[in-house]
Amino acid sequence: MKKLIVLRRASQAVSLTFFIYVLWSTTYPLEGFFPAGTFFKIDPLIIFITSLSQRVLLPGVISAGIMILLTFVLGRFFCGWICPLGSMLDLFACLRKKKIYLSDGQNRKYSLIKYLILLAIILLAIFGIQAAWIFDPLVISARFISLNFIPTATLIIDRVMVGLIQASDYYTPLYDLYRWLKQSVLGINAYFFANSLFIFLFFIFILISALFISRAWCRFVCPLGAFYGSISRFSMLRRVLGECTKCMACRKQCRMQAIKDDLTYSKSECILCMDCVYDCPPKITNFNFKDTVQKEDKGINRRQFLILMFFSLVVSGFKGRKRESKILNGSNIIRPPGVANEQEFLDRCIRCGNCMKVCITNGLQPAMFESGPQGIWTPRLVPEIGYCEYNCNLCGNVCPTGAIPKLGLENKKEARLGTAVVNKPICLAWGYGQECLVCEEHCPVPDKAIKIEKIIRDKKAVLVPIVDKNKCIGCGICQNKCPARPDRAIKVYPDLIGEAI
Amino acid sequence: MEEILRKIGAFFKRGLTRRSFLKVGGASLAVLLSQKLFPTKAFAAKKESAGRKKSKIKGDHDIVLAEGRDPYKNTEKAIELLGGMGRFVKKGSVVVIKPNMAWDRTPEQASNTNPYVVGCLVDLCFKAGAKRVNVFDVPCNDARRVYNRSGIAEMAKKKGASVYFADHWNVVKARFPYPSPMEKWPVLRDAVECDTFINVPVLKHHGLTGLTLSMKNLMGVCSGTRGLIHIDIGRKLVDLTDFISPDLTVIDATRVLVKHGPSGGNMEDVVVMNKVFAGTDPTLCDSYACSLMKKDPSSVPYIAEAIKKNFGNADISKAKIHTVKV
Repeated sequence: MKKLIVLRRASQAVSLTFFIYVLWSTTYPLEGFFPAGTFFKIDPLIIFITSLSQRVLLPGVISAGIMILLTFVLGRFFCGWICPLGSMLDLFACLRKKKIYLSDGQNRKYSLIKYLILLAIILLAIFGIQAAWIFDPLVISARFISLNFIPTATLIIDRVMVGLIQASDYYTPLYDLYRWLKQSVLGINAYFFANSLFIFLFFIFILISALFISRAWCRFVCPLGAFYGSISRFSMLRRVLGECTKCMACRKQCRMQAIKDDLTYSKSECILCMDCVYDCPPKITNFNFKDTVQKEDKGINRRQFLILMFFSLVVSGFKGRKRESKILNGSNIIRPPGVANEQEFLDRCIRCGNCMKVCITNGLQPAMFESGPQGIWTPRLVPEIGYCEYNCNLCGNVCPTGAIPKLGLENKKEARLGTAVVNKPICLAWGYGQECLVCEEHCPVPDKAIKIEKIIRDKKAVLVPIVDKNKCIGCGICQNKCPARPDRAIKVYPDLIGEAI
Repeated sequence: MEEILRKIGAFFKRGLTRRSFLKVGGASLAVLLSQKLFPTKAFAAKKESAGRKKSKIKGDHDIVLAEGRDPYKNTEKAIELLGGMGRFVKKGSVVVIKPNMAWDRTPEQASNTNPYVVGCLVDLCFKAGAKRVNVFDVPCNDARRVYNRSGIAEMAKKKGASVYFADHWNVVKARFPYPSPMEKWPVLRDAVECDTFINVPVLKHHGLTGLTLSMKNLMGVCSGTRGLIHIDIGRKLVDLTDFISPDLTVIDATRVLVKHGPSGGNMEDVVVMNKVFAGTDPTLCDSYACSLMKKDPSSVPYIAEAIKKNFGNADISKAKIHTVKV
């Protein structure tokens, strides 16, 4: 019995299921057994880098610290036993037939890339720029699961059930089951995310790389792996060999290629998958806390370090230059409620997709390059798809780094996202003299930010909407419900653009 | 590195045998076909409907108004004096109760029907022998929030009704024997295919029409771009009411929103009237509600249209109105 491997696989399965469950339950009314940011709180890369770059102390510093302490004891157990991206890579790698081996020299060279990435991230954080989100494995898997996997899965279940219900006699117990599912597991809307194809492609690229080189991402790119790797150099748990026959079985089998040609192993690369314990024909491989310290490889050399410093300085100088912004919070797209400063928001947001997953109307969508290349996959409100629900503050509650501030309901109701502006020529009331006022009807502000006025048009009295710019909070429900097509006759603009119009 | 490139190259070179070509081709064809089939088959309203049968059942009075502190008892009394629920609900029938459950507001804010009025009606329906009581609406805000915060879902479920979210794929196309602006409008099938339809609006202010009443409440059984119903709203709502022809209209005037409707939100805009009234003629109920609010019925577009079309009786001076204190 490969007890340890069974245990490891169980741990990976549980952790992946748990990860998906946490994201799946990140939805109204937010009654999952675990808070939405559970996994990010144990991610030291996200927690410490964001804390460092923003000069704040995020909640989760303690849990991330515990993970570091555990790594001091056990080594990179997170990568092998918990990381959802690692689990998915392992799962996907079942499809491959042959592995590619790199020579020790090549392997060492490529393995250094991740340390360089980590160092760049740390240096940028010192200069106040948070770049941890780009390659963080938890962010990448959360974004894929929230914005690709769950919407697709719910859509397929929904469509199949609808097809079955329509093929059968409509009002059967199946229909009751469908209604129950919609109220509990599926959610009432099938979510849609614009441009989610690019998120999918980014993720699938990582998965496919595992077909050619096992765990290629973890070995060469992952900055979280590098972080844990540099700690696990000092870890207490070690691999110990007995009377070795030099059969090289473990060397061939190791998914991280942590075992070298001379059968020593690089502790910072070992993810404790425990394969070598059972692949060893004479059964002399073991892990314990007792053995003496093994000599470790050197990390990056001075030349590499200097090159790195230079590049980070250039990059940070380039990014740190504040652009002259014409508008108050500097954004030309509508941000979630409570976001005050665009630059700070961009630096703090890790693009995990929690806010978009939880958004009750599906209005928060991943941006592409609308707010510049550094704004990719940040949330933006697209009122055509969904508006900001007046009594809802879920996005602030699930944000793991506080990029969207956690507002109380009363403060949220006053948080301004933008200003609505009526486009009079295409408005059904202003332009065509029709009865409409759908925007006024839906306006959630208790005193109505959209006022009714009576004008005489073609000798006929018409009721028309007028936006009170002081009361408008820019929630976008007017734009969402406006019946004018193809362009909505009332649109929400970010604050000062709206006021200029 | 060379090794990797070689392998990648080999993967693509090796790839295309006849077998794999057929597999891939078949799979992609299946995907394409399923994409073509799904929306047309599953999501088009194919079935057309000429609406519900007009009911000839009348109450003992044209309108019964019950006034008192407890909305539950008001409703009970009003229905009892109208002739009892047994007159409208037959044994083993399917009943639809359509409250105004459109806004993410609490019962105190008076934007939605009082949950006790709905709860009482559910009770009465089951006492009269209904097999199933359906309670649903197509809300303006997010349905889950509205169902929870209005308190109606909880109350109706407690009383044994089926409360569910409307499915926009399960609709029928409305057909009319006369030219109508509502022709082919998608209407929820559940609202059309039921034995008894009870319309339970709440009396409140509305920006465009002045008052939200029973006919306006029926917008909640429509799917599609509902904002367009606002164009020529009078004709559309009268035709829709003719299409649905509710058997019973119970108007909740327990707490009345008099300003900033229909969504409201200010407690200062709410007037406590503690009244519930019921009738079988939607036009009469609506114009009686206007008189309660001291408003000219002909200023409300859909009542004006009903008068013009001679749809129902809008003249309350000709109606038998019974008032009772509870």
